[in-house]
Amino acid sequence: MSVEPIPITGMGCICAAGRNLSDSMRALLRGERHPAPPVRFASDHPIPHPVFEAVDFEEPPDFLRTSAFALHAAREAIADAGLDRESLGALRVGVCVGTTVGAVMSDETFCRGCLAGEVPDMAPIRRILRSNPADVIAREFGLSGPRQTVVTACSSGTDAVGIAGSWIRAGLCDAAIAGGADELGRITYIGFISLMITDDSPCKPFDRHRKGLNLGEGAAMVVLASERVLRRSGMRARSLVLGYGSAGDAYHLTAPRPDGAGLRSAISEALAASGVSPASVAFVNAHGTGTPDNDRVESRVLQDMLPGVPFLSTKGYTGHTLGAAGAIEAVFTAACLEMGKIPANAGFETPDPEIGITPVREVTMVEGTVALSESLAFGGNNSVVVLGKA
Amino acid sequence: MSGPDRIVIEGIGAVGGFGCGISVLSRALTEASSSPGTFDLSTGSGTVRIPAFLADVSRLGEFIPVRTLRRIDRFSRLALLGSHLALADAELPEAERSRLGIIIASGYGATGITYAFLKSFISDGDICASPTYFANSVHNSAAAHISIQLGATGPSLTVTHFHLSVPSALATARLWLAEGRVQRVLFGAVDELSELIGYVRFRMRHAPPDTPMTPLWTEMETSIPAEGAAFLLLARESAARGGYCTLEASTTGSMPNSGVPFPEAGLLVLGADGCPESGGRYAAAAQNVRVACYTPLYGSMPSGPAFDVAAGALILKGGRLFPSPGAAFRDFPATVPAGGDPVGTDRIACLTLAEDNAYGLTTLGKLPDTACVRAREGRTSS
Repeated sequence: MSVEPIPITGMGCICAAGRNLSDSMRALLRGERHPAPPVRFASDHPIPHPVFEAVDFEEPPDFLRTSAFALHAAREAIADAGLDRESLGALRVGVCVGTTVGAVMSDETFCRGCLAGEVPDMAPIRRILRSNPADVIAREFGLSGPRQTVVTACSSGTDAVGIAGSWIRAGLCDAAIAGGADELGRITYIGFISLMITDDSPCKPFDRHRKGLNLGEGAAMVVLASERVLRRSGMRARSLVLGYGSAGDAYHLTAPRPDGAGLRSAISEALAASGVSPASVAFVNAHGTGTPDNDRVESRVLQDMLPGVPFLSTKGYTGHTLGAAGAIEAVFTAACLEMGKIPANAGFETPDPEIGITPVREVTMVEGTVALSESLAFGGNNSVVVLGKA
Repeated sequence: MSGPDRIVIEGIGAVGGFGCGISVLSRALTEASSSPGTFDLSTGSGTVRIPAFLADVSRLGEFIPVRTLRRIDRFSRLALLGSHLALADAELPEAERSRLGIIIASGYGATGITYAFLKSFISDGDICASPTYFANSVHNSAAAHISIQLGATGPSLTVTHFHLSVPSALATARLWLAEGRVQRVLFGAVDELSELIGYVRFRMRHAPPDTPMTPLWTEMETSIPAEGAAFLLLARESAARGGYCTLEASTTGSMPNSGVPFPEAGLLVLGADGCPESGGRYAAAAQNVRVACYTPLYGSMPSGPAFDVAAGALILKGGRLFPSPGAAFRDFPATVPAGGDPVGTDRIACLTLAEDNAYGLTTLGKLPDTACVRAREGRTSS
């Protein structure tokens, strides 16, 4: 049974591709990408792995870089929706944010101090405790509605958008700011290298010679509003959240289920909720990390469930931004629907016979009004959001 | 929500400083008695022993082979034990477990294994970082372990929002059930008292030794750090085979100037946990309401509100109030019903206050005498 579409009235984004959504889209459509070894932190790992840092962004000292990203994207989305603090104050507005590191009690400097038998400064811990991304946004804009920080690893951003849509349908709030945010730091960098799923060269999603992912950082937020608020406030819909689905693999902590059963269920649920058929999907913004396992599983599922539908991964421009990825990719998807075109799948050169299908290799015009954005995550989470042209 | 769409708490699993299992929790609540143990901390000035409510996870072996647990950290073990206790309490058949939705709320996540991961590269260099520790440090690792052990392929969510984690995650659990995404949600709240969290608590909220937890006393810190897991098996009433009570609502937000919008709660269970700043706010919020507070039985942890919900569910099912532990209401002007009194209401609300004037409120309702209640009463409680 399909659900009520939820209008997206504003979008914001910051990532390695740009400090806002329009700059990011321009970079994607030009094919620009700048992966490089990290400059904001050092590692004694012998092989530098390229990452996608938002190098021209400096966070304030009050809270985590993750929350600063979230706030930056939220400000853009709120302004894009034509809202301000005063107009937000007249509504019951919720905040739902996905993250991986924005809610973690781990600060390397503090932990080093503990291990060295020192009495470390508590400032980093206090900063973490006042940096919950959903709280930071609610505090900044004086929002009164429900709050939630979602930590479903790499599907967090997609889940946050889907959950916020449910809040509005259920009448828990008039509007919601939803998305994802994550910063890149040493702990994440070292951790992913230890799992041996990072590429020491620029990532190559869906390519035969892909070796793994490159990490990234950033945030994206959307403003969702009920139809009633939309009519009353004069906001315009830029896009629509048509449906959302999620399902677990129940298979492994870090590897996707080989048969893609969880992803298949998530796509089926999202399409059913949207009331759209696979044939009406204009394109898919795939998770496409560039790891051998992810791309193999995801492409098999796409081949079976959405044959012939153009697909791409935008991680070749942003890196894998973890908890932010689903949100960043959702706003890219909505922007592409507006423009009627999708960028090339950066990094793809050689088709993989094991995959059998190929992503788009150049900027491609797309027809249609519906697109999917997919996320696969550690823990076996699979989440899909269906977006529609307003 | 009313009629066939009501959400029912079908089973409860709890492990904490009071012991393990719903009957042990019920006994602790009835006797208003639970004593903390101790936790040894390495600090810059030597080892310090602090009072703490610690959980014993040894009963996990009743549900999962020890061999399977080898690479599973303490945080996930707490969650696995809580989840299996809730499923056993509800007597949910194995065949129905694969269709569960899973929602985990945690204030801090898997901090023990996260600290261990940091140690692995701080001690031996970046190249020696442990991939096993890193994989288990991901916030949704407990949900993943539960889904793998149960073969549960429904939707899965983990929420980490410090003290608002429980009411916020419960709100989503209600939505999943109301939307018909799943027939049942296995909801759990879990926090571990790791070396890292113990040290942070010691530095930030150090109560004088031998001070009983006095949650609503605003003159000094009396919180006692804790760990534990409280799980609820939630079901749509049409699918439920019995239950404790209904989950009427759960919400989070900023406190309105007019105060918390209590939904005609006949009893308000306060989540106050011995922090003097929030103790004053609880006191202000609870004027002119019948109140209870049970945190001295399980201690101070962000997932504590789930234990409050479990206590409320037991009250509504049994029809009698539990006494608030002796020190809970020192110098606090409130109407505190005595233990053993008839509950006298069909509705209990559990209040959580957080930073920034934020609050969470979970409301439970008495389960009407329907078929599912009769089904429940015909079974033996685990």
